[in-house]
Amino acid sequence: MIRAMRMMVTCHWSARRIQRYLDSDPAALLDPSEIRRLEAHLAECDKCRAAAAEYRQINSALSRWAARRMPDPQSVTHMHEVVDRLVRGEMQ
Amino acid sequence: MQAEGFRRYVEPEIEVLLRVAHTLVGSADAEDLVQETLVRAWRGMDRFDGRHPRAWLLTILRNTNMNMHRRRRPDSVEDVADYANATPAFGIDPPSTEDQVMASFLPEDLERAVGSLDTKFRTVLLLIDVDELTYAEAADALGIPVGTVMSRLSRARDRVRQYLRPSFAAAHGGGQR
Repeated sequence: MIRAMRMMVTCHWSARRIQRYLDSDPAALLDPSEIRRLEAHLAECDKCRAAAAEYRQINSALSRWAARRMPDPQSVTHMHEVVDRLVRGEMQ
Repeated sequence: MQAEGFRRYVEPEIEVLLRVAHTLVGSADAEDLVQETLVRAWRGMDRFDGRHPRAWLLTILRNTNMNMHRRRRPDSVEDVADYANATPAFGIDPPSTEDQVMASFLPEDLERAVGSLDTKFRTVLLLIDVDELTYAEAADALGIPVGTVMSRLSRARDRVRQYLRPSFAAAHGGGQR
């Protein structure tokens, strides 16, 4: 019973940190002890491991949208032309 | 020198600016927004200290967006469809067979899931997971605190997960968290 409760608390603690762990964004890094604790929990908790896998799949699928949606090469060219014109003093 | 700084710090950020502009105002208005952003950046070069050019430019882009007459956001599901299903750019490989097998959900399910989100959640999700901005860059682009970016992102992803729950359940063959 206590073990189950401890697991529940750790699941709750982990659920709040899984996305930050996966993102590794400079603004919100987990500290090394949090990372160790989270990884240890993921190793023994099927539910949290499944949650992490689901977040990864979603993230991976969304990042493929980016590859399919590169900026229009014509727009890129136009913007470089804008830069050229600004530098040459042809635009205000 | 103004021109040297502009070439060095601003010009390399053109593609990022176009991607973010597309997310914020849709494809029709993205170029106008970026052009106006470049003009304002040019005028403001003397005030730029050379640090964090992307953050500086995204702040200008945000302010420019607020000041421009037309400001449409990709609210409709159709816009998301256009976003998700654009013809692959030349030279970009389609998802590998392994990628296709690994995903538990269909691309169109994900598209519907993202389309069903409230605008403010969807925008943060697109800026970070598709346009690949950092939390801080998304905060600059939107003019909100990093903490708000994080909470909206987290809720957006959780809602997408919830929407896709039937697909995940079928794949796992049981309940999940």
